[in-house]
Amino acid sequence: MSINKNILLFLLAAIGLIALPHIENLPSSVTGYFYLLLSWRLVGVWKPQWLPTKLMLLLLTVIGIAILYSLHEGIFGRDAGTRLFVTALGLKLLEIKSERDLYLIIFLAFIVATSLFLYQQSIFMAAYILVVCCVLLGTLVCINSSHSKTWHSLKTAGVIIAQALPMTIVIFILFPRVEAPKWMYFNDKHQAKTGLGDNMEPGTISDLAMSDELVFRVQFTGTIPPPAQRYWRGPVLTQTDGKRWTQNRIDLSQPIDQPKLTGNPYQYILLMEPQDKNWVFALALPADVSSPLRRNSHYQLVTSANPDKRTEYRITSYPTYNTGTITKDEYQEATQLPGPASANVTQLVQRLHGFDSPPDKFISQLLNHFKTEDFYYTLTPPLMQENPIEQFLFESHRGFCEHYATAFVYLMRVAHIPARIVTGYQGGELNQVGNFLDIKQAYAHAWAEVWLENRGWVRIDPTAAIAPERIEQNINIDQQVANGIISFTPNSASAAVDWLKNARQLWGNVDYQWQRWVINYDNKNQSKFLSSLGISDLKTMIYWMAGIIGLITAVLSWVLLRNPGQPTDPAVLAYQRFCKKLVVKGLIKRPGEGAKDFSKRAKKSLPEQAASIDLITQLFIKLHYGKQQNNNDLQRFESLVARFNFKH
Amino acid sequence: MHNDLEQLLQTANQIILGKPRQIRLAVCCLLARGHLLIEDIPGVGKTTLSHTLAKLLGLNYQRIQFTSDILPADIIGASVFNAQTHSFSFHPGAIFNQMVLADEINRATPKAQSALLEAMEEHQVTVEGKTYPLPAPFFVIATQNPTHQIGTFPLPESQLDRFLMRIELGYPDLRAEKALLSGQRRHDLIDSLPVKLAPERLHQLQKAVTRVHASDALLDYCLAIINYTRSSPDYHCGLSPRAGLALLTAAKAWAFMNQRDAVIPEDIQAVLAAVAGHRLRSGNTNSEAIVQPILTNVAVL
Repeated sequence: MSINKNILLFLLAAIGLIALPHIENLPSSVTGYFYLLLSWRLVGVWKPQWLPTKLMLLLLTVIGIAILYSLHEGIFGRDAGTRLFVTALGLKLLEIKSERDLYLIIFLAFIVATSLFLYQQSIFMAAYILVVCCVLLGTLVCINSSHSKTWHSLKTAGVIIAQALPMTIVIFILFPRVEAPKWMYFNDKHQAKTGLGDNMEPGTISDLAMSDELVFRVQFTGTIPPPAQRYWRGPVLTQTDGKRWTQNRIDLSQPIDQPKLTGNPYQYILLMEPQDKNWVFALALPADVSSPLRRNSHYQLVTSANPDKRTEYRITSYPTYNTGTITKDEYQEATQLPGPASANVTQLVQRLHGFDSPPDKFISQLLNHFKTEDFYYTLTPPLMQENPIEQFLFESHRGFCEHYATAFVYLMRVAHIPARIVTGYQGGELNQVGNFLDIKQAYAHAWAEVWLENRGWVRIDPTAAIAPERIEQNINIDQQVANGIISFTPNSASAAVDWLKNARQLWGNVDYQWQRWVINYDNKNQSKFLSSLGISDLKTMIYWMAGIIGLITAVLSWVLLRNPGQPTDPAVLAYQRFCKKLVVKGLIKRPGEGAKDFSKRAKKSLPEQAASIDLITQLFIKLHYGKQQNNNDLQRFESLVARFNFKH
Repeated sequence: MHNDLEQLLQTANQIILGKPRQIRLAVCCLLARGHLLIEDIPGVGKTTLSHTLAKLLGLNYQRIQFTSDILPADIIGASVFNAQTHSFSFHPGAIFNQMVLADEINRATPKAQSALLEAMEEHQVTVEGKTYPLPAPFFVIATQNPTHQIGTFPLPESQLDRFLMRIELGYPDLRAEKALLSGQRRHDLIDSLPVKLAPERLHQLQKAVTRVHASDALLDYCLAIINYTRSSPDYHCGLSPRAGLALLTAAKAWAFMNQRDAVIPEDIQAVLAAVAGHRLRSGNTNSEAIVQPILTNVAVL
């Protein structure tokens, strides 16, 4: 086998790197099989006699097919297709016989590298794949160049990639996007599915308090609302059995009144991370939503787009609003109770004048009760199994936002005031670099809404009464102390913490822009962007693409052609014509051969032409290297070359 | 003008048999005012060659045998106390000669080597604050044993760079060796050699060499060679600007010897191994093999 050891090692290293991220994506049987074959091949570099024979190879192929078959997914679809390619790549590695096989393997490896994007599209992955492609390209360079120094090949590959970048950008922007058909949506099993659910019981939200996972990002076009205003409404929970609160399964008819929206609206672009529910979290109260968004009867936004895909929405919200009257259905829904209230509860409501004073009075009494009595806001309340509301109200006095919200709503309903629980997110971490908010699972929150005459549904957050810092400063002290993010050490550490925070924000911004401008650049965004440039239809798009690529080619070729080494001297051109004529006789001038040496060789094999060869060569040397040139010589030289012929 | 040169070469060829190319290169080196390094095993005629050249050029000649205990003062001279005048007077060393043969230069310690090499570069010697100019013309022909031999201090690259050329003599072929064995003693032959090129004539020729034309196209070729050595992975480090100048000067001398008034690429190719061989480091030790990639890969046109 004539394949260079260095090239093989280079290739195997590149392929090993390419398949590396797939360890996370593919079943261990496939990756294990692949890396087994790869290491076998690696050993074979030094011990070729250990490489598998034809029969062995057949057996290995059967094993590979068996592994694929045992995974029961056929060969179509993302997972099955990737497995097939990885298996095939591994098998092909053991069958390198000629240079042709190397090319096949490299192209297969490029496909496997592309398949990585089907699993992850982060900026890290893109950078990784770029680096790996550089190594692959380096292997190609290595195969095709006389000197196989690793570093030089890599450098050449890097230059090639750098040269390809402008074209890539043009094609990325201008190439028509095709919306993938539904069946091609990849349901990514790795996406975390923790998050708000359509029901809530004690502990649901406090479970999320530790999760640093991003839910969505918001960029405001105008002012950013203060932390106390950042209530991102999600599912509204109305039905309860005393412990668990759930959404009403029946979507009620739209309210009679359109909400009256007043005040300065907030306008923002919301980038939802992949979710399993089709909820979109918006500030109260979103107005004028258009497809794919819809506002349901609880003023919650739902989308008809695939929530699995990262999607961007433009929303306008009005912080002051009046939802007007309440329908009968809504009233019934908002006063539902699991059963008659216990004596303790009735007594409490009575004591706080729930039955005999106007609702807003009772609300302030109740909030005051939370504030003045011995209530604590804690992430780790005692376990409340039976009747958690009463246990919280009368025994433990310790609870997280869900305890306060449920207790509050329950007491409202006992006092015949329509009330419901709203879950969603509260707050958001401001990224100062990109001026956008990060909303993470840890900001999950539950609060209450009560219906008041003339005011409609009004947001009441009982947590704000007991732990205003949770709302105002948007830091969860419990959590941060628990995680050791806040430690009560003097300032020395704070510079480092600041730096860390800044770096994180910077990175968050890069990630956000990457998601918005690169990953989310689909056909809709493309046509929007292009029409802003005045490109409206496919034809102009293609003209533009061809034009720009043509321009880049022109610029590059100009740069290349300007390079010295391309002769422009008429004497050299004429001499090259002379050399071309000699090619017919099998005389090819070697690049490193001078004119004089060449003429010696030519004279030897064409003795009858010796005189004219001599003359031409002498003239050329005089013209090209001599002290004085005159035009007569050049003309004579050119005519001599023109007349130079072989007599048959 | 060229007649003298041809005669000189012819006569030299009668003394050193079967090495016309090396003799030509050595003369080329002198015409280009460069110092010459001859590297080969002992006994192939290094000393004879330098002795012959000195004799033919009518230069006063001194040989310094380098040994491991030679001191700088042995080479450049030292001040000696004169009891009669009660003063120190400078006794010039062996280096105060027009042609110096530094025999087996790599057997000396770096200190002694550098004394010689500094004098070569500056054409003058400074002892105890006083500067003494060296005679003109001033040539050093140094011989060196292959560095793999025992008891050698290889010359560092920076010092190798001071020699315009390095040539290897090699064994003579069968016919030449037979003629050598059957002929007269070389020593006697050399003693009876006439002066073929007087120092003034040599000076004229050297001046004429500088007038040889190097066209733009040729300079481009020269630059292409230099760039190739700098970018090619075959070489650890490329040719220095000084090496580029040396290459051009040597090529001019070569063109002059071939009775041309302009340098052509073949001249550069002819001297390349001698000029660049000792300045480049690659896997090979043989000069011709070292420069072979340049000759094949760098395009002439």
